[in-house]
Amino acid sequence: MRNTWAVFRREFAGYFQTPIGYVVCGVFAAISGLAFTLSLFNYARISQSPGMHGYPTVPDFEESFLSPWLVFCGSLIMFLAPLVTMRLFAEERHRGTIELLLTLPLRDREIILGKYFASLGMLAVMLLVVAADLALVGWLAPVEPAVLLFGTFTVFLMGASFFSVGMFVSSTMNNQVTSGTITFGLFLVLFVSGAISKDLPAQYPAPEAWPDALKLAAAVVYGVVRNLMQEMAIDGHAKDMAQGVLQIRDIAYYVLFSAFFVFLTFRSLESRHWRG
Amino acid sequence: MIEVEQLTKRYGNITAISGISFTVARGEVVGFLGPNGAGKSTTMRILTGFFPASSGTAKIDGFEVHQSPIEVKRRVGYMPERVPLYEEMSVLGFLRFVAQVKGVPSASRKDALERAMEHCGLGDMRLRQIGNLSKGYRQRVGLAQALLGAPPVLILDEPTAGLDPKQIVEIRELIHALRGEHTVLISTHILPEVSMVCDRAIIIHQGRNAAEFRLDKLAEGAGAKSLEEVFIEVIARGSEAAA
Repeated sequence: MRNTWAVFRREFAGYFQTPIGYVVCGVFAAISGLAFTLSLFNYARISQSPGMHGYPTVPDFEESFLSPWLVFCGSLIMFLAPLVTMRLFAEERHRGTIELLLTLPLRDREIILGKYFASLGMLAVMLLVVAADLALVGWLAPVEPAVLLFGTFTVFLMGASFFSVGMFVSSTMNNQVTSGTITFGLFLVLFVSGAISKDLPAQYPAPEAWPDALKLAAAVVYGVVRNLMQEMAIDGHAKDMAQGVLQIRDIAYYVLFSAFFVFLTFRSLESRHWRG
Repeated sequence: MIEVEQLTKRYGNITAISGISFTVARGEVVGFLGPNGAGKSTTMRILTGFFPASSGTAKIDGFEVHQSPIEVKRRVGYMPERVPLYEEMSVLGFLRFVAQVKGVPSASRKDALERAMEHCGLGDMRLRQIGNLSKGYRQRVGLAQALLGAPPVLILDEPTAGLDPKQIVEIRELIHALRGEHTVLISTHILPEVSMVCDRAIIIHQGRNAAEFRLDKLAEGAGAKSLEEVFIEVIARGSEAAA
């Protein structure tokens, strides 16, 4: 515990001893703030004259403003996550400080969790911006504070998932830039495949001429691939949550997703014991 | 205190060390010598638990390095060869981190930090960023970091490499002062240094034990040789045997 805390502190302070922490928070604040202002103005215009914009009544605030903006913030973290996580292990390897870290009386658990929590600490700082914007919403609009709090939590869970992937990739690399690039590439693939999967038909459109066995096989494979594409897109489970709909399976999705990649990081760091 | 038996390390097809064995008694200061690429750093990295050996055992204070890594790491202060340090941290901040991880109790941490910095002549540099330090001072930070927590065993990989003569003398005196309290294994290319600070020398060559002798024995007898002569002779003999 004491050691995890020591690693956490060193790592977290590191974000703000270098420009990276300020740059990431600044960019996140600027873009999420801009999106907040623009979409709030847009919502205000629509709600003043819903008929002119094709709505029968004033659209639901949570559904048409709050949730899309929060999911946008979460997706924005996707772009910034590689910058936060690429250094975690790759930089230590590149600078050789990994030798120091691995010869100090630290357990793998203390190193990995300390580092992961430090990146989550960074995430918490980024979310202060979201919280400030939401506080404004709470003050101006009749939205339950619990919904806003849960919305912030949603963005946190999305970020934690992105960061866990980034940490894992960093733990396998010697170079920060490669680590960041691969992390980003991975996110983009997941994101795009998730977007594509929304337009895929529910059933595989097999030609009538195919034999039944082949049709069945194609349907099964198609089903698995389509489901995977839908599930692996990290933003998929955030939409409902961001409206304040509490579902165990959404939360479990993010917790398990992060836990899985943290687990992979453990295995990756352990591989030094058996790799040549 | 340090027991190494038949230690072998292979990287793919390359064998870095093969069957190295030696022991270092408690309180002894031993020079670990050999030409470049002899396997000194590899041996030290296995001893400190940075990576495992391909075969053979290494024990520190009775604990096998691979089986009880934490026990071993608590007992070893290690200064890696190129002295990797967290550039963005201040000297004090970095040493505080190391002290915390090494379990120096918070009540005595301040004293321990002061002592380590004073020992290594870092008093004036405490608030400097490590990235801005000169090579000599980086080396001292590396040494201070190894000394923190008063580990019984010190493993120093070329602690005086790249220092100016004055700094070398200072570090040498520092190591001299550690005698008795600590068991020290020190690798170096600078042979006079070994004669001055070490009780014993172990020479390895091409990943194998090449020679081992007490330095006070070297000066005795009719055919008294200097350490340089012995070193060159041993290396030449080893190379012939290999050829």
